[in-house]
Amino acid sequence: MTTPLLSVRGLCVDYATSDRLVRAAHEVSFDIGPGEVLGLAGESGSGKSTVAFAVARLHRPPAFVTGGTVMLDGTDVLALEGEDLRRWRWRHLSVVLQSAMNALNPLLTVEAQFRDLFEAHGITNRTEIADRSAELVRMVGISPDRLRDHPHRFSGGMRQRLVIAMALALSPKLVIMDEPTTALDVVVQREILEEVAELRRRLGFSVLFITHDLALMSQFCDRVGIMLNGQLVETAAPSDMIAAPRHPYTAKLWASLPRLDADPLPLSKEAAP
Amino acid sequence: MSMTPTSTNGTAPRPALELRGLSVTFPGRPPVKALSDVTLQLHPGRALALVGESGSGKSTAAKVLTRLVAPSDGHIILDGQDATRINGREARLDYCRRVQMVFQDPFAALNPAHTVAHHLVRPLALHRPELDAAARLERAADLLRQVDLDPAAALPKYPHELSGGQRQRVNLARALAVEPQVVIADEPTSMLDVSIRLSVLDTLNRLKRDRGIALLYITHDIATARHVAEETAVIYRGRIVEAGPTDTVLRQPQHPYTRLLLDAVPRVGRPFGATGRISAEAERVRAVSAGPGELVPVGPGHLARRTAAPVANA
Repeated sequence: MTTPLLSVRGLCVDYATSDRLVRAAHEVSFDIGPGEVLGLAGESGSGKSTVAFAVARLHRPPAFVTGGTVMLDGTDVLALEGEDLRRWRWRHLSVVLQSAMNALNPLLTVEAQFRDLFEAHGITNRTEIADRSAELVRMVGISPDRLRDHPHRFSGGMRQRLVIAMALALSPKLVIMDEPTTALDVVVQREILEEVAELRRRLGFSVLFITHDLALMSQFCDRVGIMLNGQLVETAAPSDMIAAPRHPYTAKLWASLPRLDADPLPLSKEAAP
Repeated sequence: MSMTPTSTNGTAPRPALELRGLSVTFPGRPPVKALSDVTLQLHPGRALALVGESGSGKSTAAKVLTRLVAPSDGHIILDGQDATRINGREARLDYCRRVQMVFQDPFAALNPAHTVAHHLVRPLALHRPELDAAARLERAADLLRQVDLDPAAALPKYPHELSGGQRQRVNLARALAVEPQVVIADEPTSMLDVSIRLSVLDTLNRLKRDRGIALLYITHDIATARHVAEETAVIYRGRIVEAGPTDTVLRQPQHPYTRLLLDAVPRVGRPFGATGRISAEAERVRAVSAGPGELVPVGPGHLARRTAAPVANA
């Protein structure tokens, strides 16, 4: 295998409560290759977002990274501090969250928000900013004419496209997407993710894709990982994992999906959790 | 649209609840037509899945049925009686007892300050005043058993002590407390983890059969329809575009919009790119699906709306 772009080793994250530490991620290790899409799936509280936040250095107390290493393209991510961290983030790694639809400032035009982004990273030439903003929104299927609109003029799907355009603005090598389309309708979800897949092929960035939707993950990702109680229990190519899940929890998760081709109205006798 | 199941002796059983030619228009400039000429029938012991995207009108239908929104046109028929206009507290209380609702958000639907016991005893006190306190508590325990929860463990608990799935089961028990004929479940599992969704749907399915409840299962997830519902109706921009037996609608969809929805459902082991991108198709389908068109029979108990222009099969 080629040198991984992202290498996470033995990552531990704890949340401090009033009297003890709660371990949210335990000894998590995985790699993401250049241009690869890795999916992390698991239930609420399984630690998948905790891992993503640790890689993006988004944790704030009471969450603490208490062990392990995160290397992105030769940079020791956990060692970055202050201004170095600020400059590194977005240029090398960007983040798209589930609530990204609401991540846009309702008071500013989209154009102004792109300008903020570029200026925060030292790009101040107005013509260059205008050209690059236009190119970015065009890339996600939105007309540059609409840059002058405020966020409320856009549908949820279009707002999510704008956020994705912003995430790609500085050509980062890794984009973390945490449930990026969960709040959207299935057709819009499919349209957006197919677009991301196409952009990834063209631009070559890698994606860490967090979701609870295993079926979606199996369609979009090159490799998938299953999180359970803070641990990464299994990582494999989707087809391999479906054909032969190695962990019993993985098998249970795949079996729990509604299937369009299942027998009609199966009535299981399985007891409630 | 007619979704009447034909019984063995040839006479159609009376629906528990019916919408006939129902329209809802919200004021605005221009006014927003949320539902246009929607006809649905809910039958005892059977479920109808109403499937649509955001803004399709599916939740407006739920609100009309639970009397939170008044229809601008058409009729609501409850057990053969016209209930479009109900006046007075008694009539309203009676309707609400017979038509109960389970909401999407199991976290918001329970009062954080009250125990599970309180949530179940209170509707009983309102609708079954003849029961004394001990009888109500016994009934509450029985309800929890019916939704696969352990009464001894669940009754004294507060909502925050329960998982999402357990909370949704409590919501279901609360709806069942007053022995409704009809249950409207609006996205009852969309906020739950995937691994427990099917078990909650199983519970709904079993209750529907065992208690003869007419269930309206409202969802954006067409893939879950077959786990609960004998019939499925697909709604787009306030109009039913296709309706029929769930198995037929899912296996032999006739309307391009139904096909689009089915194509977009995440499917295990079908990588993107294998079937081409969905965007162009989506645009074409949306353009031809918005018009009024006529609902015409396309098979036994199966109706699909005529589109403005032919669309190539996906």
